Amino acid sequence: MVKIVTDTTSDITRDLAQSLGITVVPLTVFFGKQSYLDRVEMSTDTFYERLVGDVFPTTTQPSPGVFAEVYNQLSKETDEILVIVISGKLSGTYQSALNATGMVKKKGVKIEVIDSRNTAMGLGLMVLNAAQKAEAGASLEEVVSLTRANIHRSHPYMYFDTLKYLAKGGRVGKAQGLVGSILSVKPVVTLDDGEVNPIVRVRSKKAGIENLYNLVAQYAGNIEMLAVEHATTPDDADLLIERLADIYPKDQIIRSTVSPVLGTYMGPNVVGAFVLEKDTSP
Amino acid sequence: MQSIRNLSGEEFHEMFSVSADWLEKSVAEVNALNVFPVPDGDTGTNMLLTMHSALEEAEDLSSASVSEFIRKMSHGALMGARGNSGVILSQIISGLSNGLANNVTCDGQSMAKAFEQASIAAYKGISNPVEGTILTVIKDVAKAAKAEALNGTNDIIIIMEEAVRAAGESVANTPSLLKVLRDAGVVDAGGQGLYIILDGALRYLKGEAETMQFRKPQIIPSKIPLVQHSITAPETICEDEVPFGYCTNLLLKGQMLEIDKISAKLNKRGESLVVVGDDKTIRIHIHTIDPGWVISYLTTLGTLDNVHIQNMDEQHEDFIEMQKEKSPAGDVSVVSVVAGEGFAEVFSSLGVSHIVKGGQTMNPSTKDLFQAVEKCSADNIIILPNNKNIILAAEQVKKLTKKHLLVVPSKTMPQGISALLAFDYDADFETNHKLMEEALSSVITLEVTQAVRSTQVNGLDIKKKQYISIIDGQIVSADDVLQNSIDKALEQIDVSAFEVVTIYYGKAESQAGAESVSASIIEKYDQLQPEIIKGSQQHYNYIISLE
Repeated sequence: MVKIVTDTTSDITRDLAQSLGITVVPLTVFFGKQSYLDRVEMSTDTFYERLVGDVFPTTTQPSPGVFAEVYNQLSKETDEILVIVISGKLSGTYQSALNATGMVKKKGVKIEVIDSRNTAMGLGLMVLNAAQKAEAGASLEEVVSLTRANIHRSHPYMYFDTLKYLAKGGRVGKAQGLVGSILSVKPVVTLDDGEVNPIVRVRSKKAGIENLYNLVAQYAGNIEMLAVEHATTPDDADLLIERLADIYPKDQIIRSTVSPVLGTYMGPNVVGAFVLEKDTSP
Repeated sequence: MQSIRNLSGEEFHEMFSVSADWLEKSVAEVNALNVFPVPDGDTGTNMLLTMHSALEEAEDLSSASVSEFIRKMSHGALMGARGNSGVILSQIISGLSNGLANNVTCDGQSMAKAFEQASIAAYKGISNPVEGTILTVIKDVAKAAKAEALNGTNDIIIIMEEAVRAAGESVANTPSLLKVLRDAGVVDAGGQGLYIILDGALRYLKGEAETMQFRKPQIIPSKIPLVQHSITAPETICEDEVPFGYCTNLLLKGQMLEIDKISAKLNKRGESLVVVGDDKTIRIHIHTIDPGWVISYLTTLGTLDNVHIQNMDEQHEDFIEMQKEKSPAGDVSVVSVVAGEGFAEVFSSLGVSHIVKGGQTMNPSTKDLFQAVEKCSADNIIILPNNKNIILAAEQVKKLTKKHLLVVPSKTMPQGISALLAFDYDADFETNHKLMEEALSSVITLEVTQAVRSTQVNGLDIKKKQYISIIDGQIVSADDVLQNSIDKALEQIDVSAFEVVTIYYGKAESQAGAESVSASIIEKYDQLQPEIIKGSQQHYNYIISLE
């Protein structure tokens, strides 16, 4: 069976990963010199408790060695591995994952690495979809082709309470123009070709959440999977899920929180809605 | 009495130039015919500047036909139209031009026909004509002139006499047609302006041009008496809103120079004033529209050195040219009318390509807006007028530019900001226009200013100098205490529906004052997230938006 590997920015919960046999490789977050493995040594809650302090965290991708270890471990049970990782425009994880393919000891193992051009549950849903297909017995080629098509069907929408962290981390992309605004402006952004791109600018969270709903609603009837995430405000996630219940079965909406590594760039109070569109090709 | 039967083109032009001088004498009085006791778009000033622009355009013509003169004047008026009254006046002139399109000279019959065309053009230019305004006056003028012409009269003086008589009656009657005028106890200012222009024309025809300089036009009283009828010129006049003007730099050398006194004196004469030094040498920097006055004043105190005077409009042009080269031709550019440096920064930071200075008391002309539109690198332009009295002038730009132009009718600066926030980088021109227009209703604007005179509006007894609060154009409260005025205003709306309150404080207020206003609001409505911004706007102590 094809084994699926991703990174912790996919925001796939441990339970979900275990049930579908997905391996999640952690990135690392640093507070000063102290390092913590994303989601392993530091939870979302602890991260945000620390974020209010004066020290701005930094992050780093997993080393190729870490990926190689995962590949070698998995190659004991499979010859087909699919690695789907965070956008190469946001992190060097893709490079590490790719470099590690040359370090596999066992001969004949096929490893495919795909840049999702996405992150958070935008990546997470692509990974879950691939894992389901793999579990149903699809070949590596089939899962790869599905995942490549899903790159253009996965739509992340995130409401940012502040662009301060995104700007500090240098991941601001086309939202650059919003950083200098004198007025506090809160954008709803998406990723276009792996890069941050603002869709609308609002003044309040309420308006932001309403926009998230509207953005998802344009796919109503055509949604394969739907996820909602938050960073520090579970009530906002509840509110958004309630709102989305009229276009998608509420109990099937996947719920998660942003990982510490993503939190480094998104800051507190982020709320996100993630759509994986159905495959409508004939 | 001298009788002119056929006006030549030059005489026609001269007639209106006498009219403009006549109007100039009463500009302050016409400005004072303001419905609301707020510093508002000055009708008299706007009409006069529009007339000047019309006349200047035709100045160089000599021995040309009436039709050539009026055609030039019509173009000049269109370019120079300021404020709603100026735009309507430009429509009237354009109508006159249609009516006189084939006239070498102008007689009474032609004049009557031209008035009829003027009335038609004036109504056509307005999407939602309101009676009891300048529109009614030109309609009544056209009717009276036509009736007289049908009697077979061809004497232009008699036709004009009829026109002026009808205009006067019509103006006096405007309060019975329009409730806001009735409530304020004034006649319509635009109508009054038109009356003065026609009256000036008649006096020219009668050969009174010489004696006019010793007299003043009549301001027509309202037919309906008001208990508290007092018209005084507004205290705030438009000179505070200095355009770019000249950047003036110099050294003043003398004995026992009083820095504070000099600074206070210069402060009234411009912006960005810097006065530093000691009692013997002072360095002065000021942006002023009248560097001559500054120089004359300072030479009375000592000797001047290192005098540099630079036209900042030219500096600005250079800057714009540079910007133009730098930015690739974007798809859509936004031009916005903004008052106050603080607001200008907010609008710039939100991506406005070109800012036209102006607002309440200084309405930019159609030409100002047209030039801003032309300076933008994009071919698709959206204008945010941010004032109800500028929307029409903005619409007029469509007639002048080859670019695709749409106006989002924002009436306040917070509305303009909401519209900008709704701008979608990925959407096309029409979609953006729609999104921006829809966004106007997402914000409530509360403006706080001081009454420039005592009056009664919306059942409120307003005393001069009281703080009045205006919500989306409606005066809702007045109080001697600023905070009380705001509190009373907020009680009249459902504040619980809003999340963000932004307080833009004006030139007359401070950050500390704004913080105290903010604290008082939050104490009552604790769900609101406050934000305080230095708006630096004139006239309005605070402009507060609720979103």
